[in-house]
Amino acid sequence: RRLLKQASVSVRFALWDRSWLSVMASRVLGRCVRSLSLSSVRLCLGGTAVRAAAAPLPSQRPFSLLSCSRKTRQVYQTEISSSVVQLCRRYGDQPPLTLGNIEDRVLYVLKLYDKVNPEQLTVTSHFIKDLGLDSLDQVEIIMAMEDEFGFEIPDVDAEKLMTPEDIVMYISDKKDVYE
Amino acid sequence: MAASSRSQVLSLYKLLMKESSKFPSYNYRTYALRRVRDAFKENKHVEDSKTVEVLLNKARDNLAVLQRQVSIGQMYATQKIVVEEHRGKKTI
Repeated sequence: RRLLKQASVSVRFALWDRSWLSVMASRVLGRCVRSLSLSSVRLCLGGTAVRAAAAPLPSQRPFSLLSCSRKTRQVYQTEISSSVVQLCRRYGDQPPLTLGNIEDRVLYVLKLYDKVNPEQLTVTSHFIKDLGLDSLDQVEIIMAMEDEFGFEIPDVDAEKLMTPEDIVMYISDKKDVYE
Repeated sequence: MAASSRSQVLSLYKLLMKESSKFPSYNYRTYALRRVRDAFKENKHVEDSKTVEVLLNKARDNLAVLQRQVSIGQMYATQKIVVEEHRGKKTI
């Protein structure tokens, strides 16, 4: 009985403030109810009183003592998860990289490069053979691609990238973009 | 030109260009980029390995100079000048 009185006090307390205090109170309540459920009829009557007091806390009215304690546990869990969600930091999102998207960006960067003639530029044109650039220009193009896509391209790989298509394939490979 | 020195030249070029683009001051930055580009283009047709070696050493010295000057420039960075604003993408 004393336990029940304590529980009802804590429930009243919980109704005032539905934050962490209510979580603590409902936990105490749940523990009381669980320990009392095995004892006598008188305590069961007390249990219904507790249930009535606890009913405003969860949204649905519980039908048994066991479901009551389950409800309180659920409330506890949802409060935990909502506080975790508030702590999460939201980062700005980027449009997802697709092959077409990467190709557009690569060609756009190449068109901005002053030594490339935009009319001659195609996806398969070779920088040195078709566009008349030299290896130094190719290094600059790779640097521009690093700036555009925000990651480093090692020299070993950079010297193999000789067409826009190569660059697109390399970037999609590194960024895990597949068709 | 031997294959090893070719890749050395290209990686040195890349390092110099990257270092030059770190200058906070517009004037120094564009000058350094232009100077590096011109110096490499100027000696594009050098075939003699000794000359190439001398030029490579010169480039390494200048890379060290650039690194020092960039860090000094970053200590005394001022606000951007008018030309730099509203110009969308940075061209190299």
